[in-house]
Amino acid sequence: MQCDWLHSGPQLWLRCVHRQVRLRTGKQEEHRGWLLTVDPVSHSVVLLSFREDGASVRVVMGHAVKHVEVLQEPDQDMAERLRSFFHPPTTVSLDP
Amino acid sequence: GSCRGSAAAPSERPGERRAAEMKKLYGKDAAKILAMEAAMQLTFDRNRDLKQPKYWPVIPLKL
Amino acid sequence: SIPTSAAAQSDPEQLQEEQHARSVLRERFLRCLLAMTNKKVQFHMHEKVNVEATFGASDIDVLNFQVSDLHTPIGVQKEALIRCQDVISFTFDV
Repeated sequence: MQCDWLHSGPQLWLRCVHRQVRLRTGKQEEHRGWLLTVDPVSHSVVLLSFREDGASVRVVMGHAVKHVEVLQEPDQDMAERLRSFFHPPTTVSLDP
Repeated sequence: GSCRGSAAAPSERPGERRAAEMKKLYGKDAAKILAMEAAMQLTFDRNRDLKQPKYWPVIPLKL
Repeated sequence: SIPTSAAAQSDPEQLQEEQHARSVLRERFLRCLLAMTNKKVQFHMHEKVNVEATFGASDIDVLNFQVSDLHTPIGVQKEALIRCQDVISFTFDV
């Protein structure tokens, strides 16, 4: 889904949360990751990406974001990993 | 208007304007966002007062 | 300031939806900043400058980052402020 990202508002950004996006900065750098959020104040884009040995978050400052393309939906377990990012599974309580 | 002792508070205190702005932006969640932002700004200000950090680099990389 | 879309201005339900979306996005961003506290963060800045520091806090308009133990090309600066306008992006491990 190609959307004119920079001028769209919070509702569209929210609909894209958890989807994979490809982002290009003014310096022609490209970053790809799962969209965690977009700050409505600074328009910074927060991406989560996974490596074999772990995961990292990249925040691209709003003023540096030139182009965002929304790619695929997450599959089942990716969606779960993304959901648990902000709300780590609480430890299972032992009482009945 | 009469000047009440200390400098007359502006008719609408900055706090009020901010709260109104937040209400426009965040609707019913304004209070929650305001509280989170206030806590974050407090941390930033406190760290800045305690640690007296200097800008790095001294001159901005990008004007 | 932050624009409210024309559609939202005219239709209260649309406005409420936009307000809700904005607050969900903002809260998630603030939580991200909180999650960075005391973590090592790599800053990718203009003029090909890349530095690492321990993240302290951001001001709410995301204009300045307060960091500690900033590893600069010429040594470590114990306490520093980084201007967000100088930053292209930054990363941290989770």
